Amino acid sequence: MSIRISALKYIEEVKSGNLKVEEFISKTIERIQKVDSNLNAYLSINDDAVDQARKIDKKIKDGEKIGSCIGMPISIKDNICVKGTKTTCASKMLENFVAPYDATVISKLKNEDAIIIGKTNLDEFAMGLTTEFSAYGPSKNPWNTDYVPGGSSGGSSVAVSAHECIASLGSDTGGSVRNPASFCSIVGYKPTYGLISRSGLISYSNSIEQIGPMTKTVEDTAFLLNIIAGKDPKDNTTIDNQKEDYLDGIDSGVEGKKIGIIKEMSQDGVNPQVSSALKQAISNLESLGATFEEISIDMVEYSVAAYYTITATEAGSNLARYDNIRYGFDFDFEGYEFNSYISKARKNFGPEVTRRMILGGFVPSAGHSGKYLLKAMKVKDKLTVEVNEILNKVDMLISPTVPILPFKFGEKIDDPVALFLVDSNTVTANLTGKPAISVPFSISNGLPIGIQLMAKPLQDKMLLQAAYSLQNSVKLPEVPI
Amino acid sequence: MVSKEEIEYVAKLMRIEVDDHVVHIDRVQKMIAYFDILDKANVESEELIVKEQTVDNLRDDEYIPYDDKLIDHLKKYKNSYIRAPKMI
Repeated sequence: MSIRISALKYIEEVKSGNLKVEEFISKTIERIQKVDSNLNAYLSINDDAVDQARKIDKKIKDGEKIGSCIGMPISIKDNICVKGTKTTCASKMLENFVAPYDATVISKLKNEDAIIIGKTNLDEFAMGLTTEFSAYGPSKNPWNTDYVPGGSSGGSSVAVSAHECIASLGSDTGGSVRNPASFCSIVGYKPTYGLISRSGLISYSNSIEQIGPMTKTVEDTAFLLNIIAGKDPKDNTTIDNQKEDYLDGIDSGVEGKKIGIIKEMSQDGVNPQVSSALKQAISNLESLGATFEEISIDMVEYSVAAYYTITATEAGSNLARYDNIRYGFDFDFEGYEFNSYISKARKNFGPEVTRRMILGGFVPSAGHSGKYLLKAMKVKDKLTVEVNEILNKVDMLISPTVPILPFKFGEKIDDPVALFLVDSNTVTANLTGKPAISVPFSISNGLPIGIQLMAKPLQDKMLLQAAYSLQNSVKLPEVPI
Repeated sequence: MVSKEEIEYVAKLMRIEVDDHVVHIDRVQKMIAYFDILDKANVESEELIVKEQTVDNLRDDEYIPYDDKLIDHLKKYKNSYIRAPKMI
């Protein structure tokens, strides 16, 4: 019995009686114990997982009604609340915070008998794209452990890629699901803004962030989306998706689809191997009946600056709640007045969060907001108009997910602007509310390359169909670990 | 270029004590310098798109009982009051 299988294969095997849930969960935990001291994908493991598996096996044996996940092990980024478990956001600030409720996505997964196998590593409060900003040490890329796995949902991408779980949920504010998916050769999905409830996701930048599935195949993403998408009274930004079935007709193909190649994301500054992978992806989709044209989106050049300005502003406000009085990190307030107490609290933030808090105070402040925040918001709106106009002419947009290959630890951590630019192809989908997916497409000198497709809001189903075609147009090697 | 003093002043207002100026202030200064690119975007005359959110789109303002006594999650409280440092 191999644990190197997809979610759909797992379901097939359990349903056919070839696989016991307990056996699979035990083997998955063995795998975690074997590889995770090196990879550091997990911040905590569910100690009750085997017991939960046993109960599901009994339900199957007794012929009781069983949820569609049938005990599959799913890991969760540690900024999503799972009742009764630590939810640290990879920060010292929340090292003792135990979530008092389940996020809506977690309730939905539990209702379908998924087993939450553990909580995965991230850059502190999801601010970063390498996991190097985790207070608990970085995760390592299973394709080459000298390299970063991407981020901020790096723990999730490592866990899926290294078969330490079947699938994972991450969060994507500027590429935090798609970037690590690309770097670790898995599928990463940023849905239409509002498609998945964020109730129970610890807030960073509410106007653009989304929870997204991270899986071994596109079909698995569609399967998870069927479970977790839809209107939620606890999150007023959610939209009614009419219970769309994303898996149904996933093999519909791309015949007749018009796809725009985004010039600003595909030329200057793109690594030659990444560029060559994009050309191959275009050629593969062309041979399946899609047509391509080069398009230009002027505002993309300013998108990263707009993204960091807006997210820092929202983070400055969202993270103000960590005041040492709530959320686990409590210390005595004798001898402090209010301001010095809050300052003391904020020393628990790591360096990147501290910088973004300062930035988040600066860019919207009196005297500076006109130059920074207001312009950033106008860029966001103009970018949205430009992308909408283009998506009235073409069905989808294509680009590399990340313009460069995975890089080594320490290579960019001291250069904030170099790190900013790694996000240059992913932030547009967030700023404009569009669904976007990273599909694993190529391995260059042992390092993965992902291709990104983007579509109109609520065209998630068509996007997944195209991603499925792209995925099946290549055969990739197994992860070498 | 925004001065380090201006950034330090905002950090103070944000109640952030900065020990290592190279790690914090210098890098924030670099980040802000990058944002100057927004000046080239030529968006001054653009109107912001305002989204309407009508009251009937909001959920009902109803009390939803919660099965957990949340104050028990805190370490410093007395009866139903949270203890906090002195304001003045």
